[in-house]
Amino acid sequence: MKSKYIFIALIALTSLAFGASDSAIWGKDLIANIAGYDKEGSLHLGKYFTLLQSTYFKPLFFGVLVGVPAAFFIHYAVIGPMIFSHDRKKIYVFTLFNRVVHAISAISFMLIIPTGLVMMFGSFFGGGSFVRLCTEIHAISTLLFIISIVPMFFMWVRWMFIHIDDIKWLMIVGGYLNKDKKPVPAGRFNAGQKTWFWLATLGGVLMISTGTAMYFQDFKLEIIASYGISQIDLLRASAITHNALGIGILALFLVHIYMSVFAIKGAIHSMITGFKEEEEVEILHSSFYKELKEKKEI
Amino acid sequence: MSESSRLKFYCDENRCIGCDGCSVACAEAHELPSGVNRRKVVTLNEGIEGLEYSLSIACMHCTDAPCEEVCPVDCFYIREDGIVLHDKDICIGCAYCLYACPFGAPQFPQDGAFGTKGVMDKCTMCAGGPEETNSHTERELYGQNRISEGKVPVCAAMCSTKALLVGDSNEVSNIYRERVLSAGHGVKTQPYGWNVAYGSKK
Amino acid sequence: MANTWGYGAMTNSLGDIQNAKAIIIFGANPAVNHPVGFQHFLKAKERNNAKIIVVDPVFTKTAAKADYYCRLRPGTDIPFMYGMLHLIFKNGWHDKNFIKDRVYAMDEVMEEAKKWNPKKVEDVTGVPADKLIQITRLYAQSTPGTLIWAMGLTQHSIGSSNTRLAPILQLALGNMGEEGGGTNILRGHDNVQGATDMCCLSHTLPGYYGLSDGSWKYFASSWGVDYDWLKGRFHTKEWMNKKGFTLSRWWAGVLDGKNGNDKIHNGGTNLKNLIVMGNGITSIAQQAKVKEGLDNLDMLVLCDPFVNEAAILTDKQDDVFILPAATQFETSGSVTATNRAAQWRNKVIEPMYESKADQDIMFELAKRLGFYEQLTAGMKIKENKKDFQWPEDATDEIARIIKTIGLTGWTAKRLKKHSENWHMFDEISGRGYGEMKGEYYGLPWPCWTEKHSGSPILYNINRSVAEGGMGFRNRFGLEHDGVDLLAGKGSAPKGSANIDGYPEITKDNIEEVLGIKLTADEKRRIGKNWKVDTSNIIAEKCMQRGMAPYGNAKARAKVWTFPDPIPLHRESLHSARPDLVKEYPSYADKGNHYRVDTQYISKQTEKDWSKEFPINLITGRLVNLNGAGMENRASKYLAALSPEMFCNINPNLAGIHGIRDGSMMWIHSPEGTKIKVKAKYSYAVSEDRVWIPFHFAGHFQGEDLSHKYPNGTKPYAVGESANTVTNYGYDIVTQIPETKGGLCRIEFA
Repeated sequence: MKSKYIFIALIALTSLAFGASDSAIWGKDLIANIAGYDKEGSLHLGKYFTLLQSTYFKPLFFGVLVGVPAAFFIHYAVIGPMIFSHDRKKIYVFTLFNRVVHAISAISFMLIIPTGLVMMFGSFFGGGSFVRLCTEIHAISTLLFIISIVPMFFMWVRWMFIHIDDIKWLMIVGGYLNKDKKPVPAGRFNAGQKTWFWLATLGGVLMISTGTAMYFQDFKLEIIASYGISQIDLLRASAITHNALGIGILALFLVHIYMSVFAIKGAIHSMITGFKEEEEVEILHSSFYKELKEKKEI
Repeated sequence: MSESSRLKFYCDENRCIGCDGCSVACAEAHELPSGVNRRKVVTLNEGIEGLEYSLSIACMHCTDAPCEEVCPVDCFYIREDGIVLHDKDICIGCAYCLYACPFGAPQFPQDGAFGTKGVMDKCTMCAGGPEETNSHTERELYGQNRISEGKVPVCAAMCSTKALLVGDSNEVSNIYRERVLSAGHGVKTQPYGWNVAYGSKK
Repeated sequence: MANTWGYGAMTNSLGDIQNAKAIIIFGANPAVNHPVGFQHFLKAKERNNAKIIVVDPVFTKTAAKADYYCRLRPGTDIPFMYGMLHLIFKNGWHDKNFIKDRVYAMDEVMEEAKKWNPKKVEDVTGVPADKLIQITRLYAQSTPGTLIWAMGLTQHSIGSSNTRLAPILQLALGNMGEEGGGTNILRGHDNVQGATDMCCLSHTLPGYYGLSDGSWKYFASSWGVDYDWLKGRFHTKEWMNKKGFTLSRWWAGVLDGKNGNDKIHNGGTNLKNLIVMGNGITSIAQQAKVKEGLDNLDMLVLCDPFVNEAAILTDKQDDVFILPAATQFETSGSVTATNRAAQWRNKVIEPMYESKADQDIMFELAKRLGFYEQLTAGMKIKENKKDFQWPEDATDEIARIIKTIGLTGWTAKRLKKHSENWHMFDEISGRGYGEMKGEYYGLPWPCWTEKHSGSPILYNINRSVAEGGMGFRNRFGLEHDGVDLLAGKGSAPKGSANIDGYPEITKDNIEEVLGIKLTADEKRRIGKNWKVDTSNIIAEKCMQRGMAPYGNAKARAKVWTFPDPIPLHRESLHSARPDLVKEYPSYADKGNHYRVDTQYISKQTEKDWSKEFPINLITGRLVNLNGAGMENRASKYLAALSPEMFCNINPNLAGIHGIRDGSMMWIHSPEGTKIKVKAKYSYAVSEDRVWIPFHFAGHFQGEDLSHKYPNGTKPYAVGESANTVTNYGYDIVTQIPETKGGLCRIEFA
């Protein structure tokens, strides 16, 4: 995906060299774009983008930003965290490589998400140089994000495919809705983690590409153009996708923070030291535990 | 304020000859950097008999301006006379207004490092910006403020054939209507005071 | 045109076009060249339902607004017009009374027109027969119709025939002297009409007086200069009456017939020095030859606010002087518009830095060359002053002296008043209101007296002479081949004391023709004829009797002094149709044509040019650039609209040569020169021709000469000059270059 970014950058820079007369937005397509804004047979992206951005995105983001933590606050109060004993063995689950990559991606998320929210709610922050600064940070952090998410995909993907356990896991919502400590059907990674993985990597790639498209704005990719999609429609589609997906990523990000920091006591240490408590594995990743036992690795 | 008192542009495609007088006048009057085309003239179907037309496009100052609706930092403000303006100090250059605009009016001067976009720039109908009227800063950021001096926006003022009309939407409609309706009714060649009532012998 | 009816200028005005019911445009592109004036065409379309017909080799912006477009092969305007005349005479659409009373020799035109049936016209011009029939019917039956032309018609080796057949067409239809009719030649540059009227040309004195002894004597006395002194300025007396070199071939005068160049007749010597005021050097055909001329000069002086790109073209390093001339804002004076009307320009600022206004440069030069006194004497005569006031006294001097085109009424006072009150005139007719009542805006010449209203529509016999009416000029004698050349009875201007045709007024015939008696004092003071009558008695008497001083004659369709008395078609020197070259060959070579031997038939038949150079080369204008382009290419936003030299090429033609849209291509010319330009796909040109704009300079045959510009003067846009590849070819009478009728070969670069 890194090469794709470089590829896009090269295309964008070469097209910039031709100036506004060869602009993909303000050039020959200008009139065609006006005609295609919302007419019969067009993609109606102009209309949809305006509608979504003016009416829906902000409330949805706000809803997630407030609602998800609120829900978890209630969960913590009612059900409380899971606590596992520290007296048994420790199982090595995350290599140094895993942890470094995760750390970098964590930092990048910590930069990207708040700055993205500042941009979304720009009027609350009064616009101007502060929000502009966040825009630049948001863009630059993408580089950090790329160098972490690509290795992350390859290092974990083999454990992230869907399994019958995941269906069962979803049915019981991971066992988080009660205080029992019954073994939960999950492999190395449970369904929740898998969902977050796919959203962060594939979704992340989509965020990178749509975000890059919006960043460089005035370029022409023959692949897209050959389908008859104008550059402005590409940008509109990018904006809609970026925001919609952003809502999902924000939501799961908050879930992930809650789960790893609050809901499971000590879970975060596995990302620091690489070791998980045996009981935690036994309960929360029961199939993985069984597998380890059979292989006599414990 | 009633709907029809808003200021609007209209470009009469039967008169536009694609001379670019409007776009050059705008660039010259507001000292725009090259690459920013607040007003652009587009020629369709060039060279094809019966189909070639030219049009002058800029911000249309829509009554329901979608740019204003989607701006995340709410930097737009719509004047009572219908002119849509924005505040460059608040703008963050996110280009949502460009995505929402059917006419491609928002311009982004590519002057930052790595091709970063600057803040948005667009046709102001020669009405300046939020800075103090006719101040140096207003002129630097937004260009001339001719409306405050009672002058016509410079593009329409310079139009060679009076294809580009601007003003009270009622007046503009009237002019265009008169052009269409007066077809074939001839011209008056004698001003009042000369002795012959109608043209020459034929 | 002057040879057809007396004056060679636009007969009506731009505003008057709004009265037309049909507008036919040959070789002109007013939507690009006169964008503001084009408003009148569009208003005619709107208000009169006027139909616009464009006849042009390229589908121009004007054609885009036209109702009918005829794609013409370059250089075939005569067959096209004859095709129209053929149909007009055949169907009886011509104005028989008008022709009987006011035109001579139309029957010979009718004979020639018989040959040009629509099928034949289609073969020669490329315009389908049914289209010709359609537009002719429309044009002939929608009167008044006006005929517009510009460089597309004049810049051919048969240009002088083209510009005679167009008036003949209008005469046949009776469209002359009508509101909404006329032949409206659109002059291109600011004040080019004024420059033409002052005859900054090598074959006549100012005001079209010619170079005869009588003219020289008249000017000598009018200028207050000794005739013998003037005579003494020439090498020998005979050179006083000889035509000089032209702008299009001055360089031949430098090259002196060496190395295969045309021989010259310059008294045994060649041109050594050149002073240029304004532009023009880079706007002439055969730039490679122009360069050669420049390189071989002893001294080159260029006076202009911008660097004349002749300085960039030449390799000459020494004795090249660039003098900064002031712009029109830094000086004042009268300017003449395309409709013969004058306006007054006011100075806005003093000349900046070291620049000087043109007149000051000339005065300084005259002082150093020793004839300043004689040069300025004429301005002091009227009020017998010691010192002159520029420009008012210069303007009054012109009004005092130039009678041929009736500039008597153009005093500085009157012209200034018009410009100050320009809001008091009607847009379409030019008639004045209130204080300006009784006058037409700008006093279009002829303006016979200091009280005359001006003549907005030439040859209009529906108005009295005092209000601008007149018949055709009696310029060609009283009869020819036994046929009376004066106008028929009843064709005199309204309110004329003499309702018949009458000759131009002279001292000898004034009493008889006007039916008056002169007093002894008047007889003493009166001039020999109306052209040299400094007392202006002739004009005053004529106004009283409602008669034009220049007579009332027939226009002539036959010019017996021209190589082709009736306009005949001849193929361009470089023609894409060798079969038609055989049928319609060019003229015999002309020796001593403005001092240069000029080739016609020998060039045309030198070889079959169309074999090696099959593509028609057409040049034209861009709306954002002007003339030689230096001024506008130095303007940021104008240059941004067309930053590079390019060539409009049909996609099919480009495909054959493997030239992609936006890639570079070579255009080779029969001159042996070539240019490298960017290809631009366009449907405006057909597959057998290409179109290039002529505004660029700074490159030469693929080489970038930008390093030659003095510091800080390089314009934003430079490129190849179209004239590097325009071909050899000059009009038989005027020597205007055949830039609109050349051939080329294209190649992928």
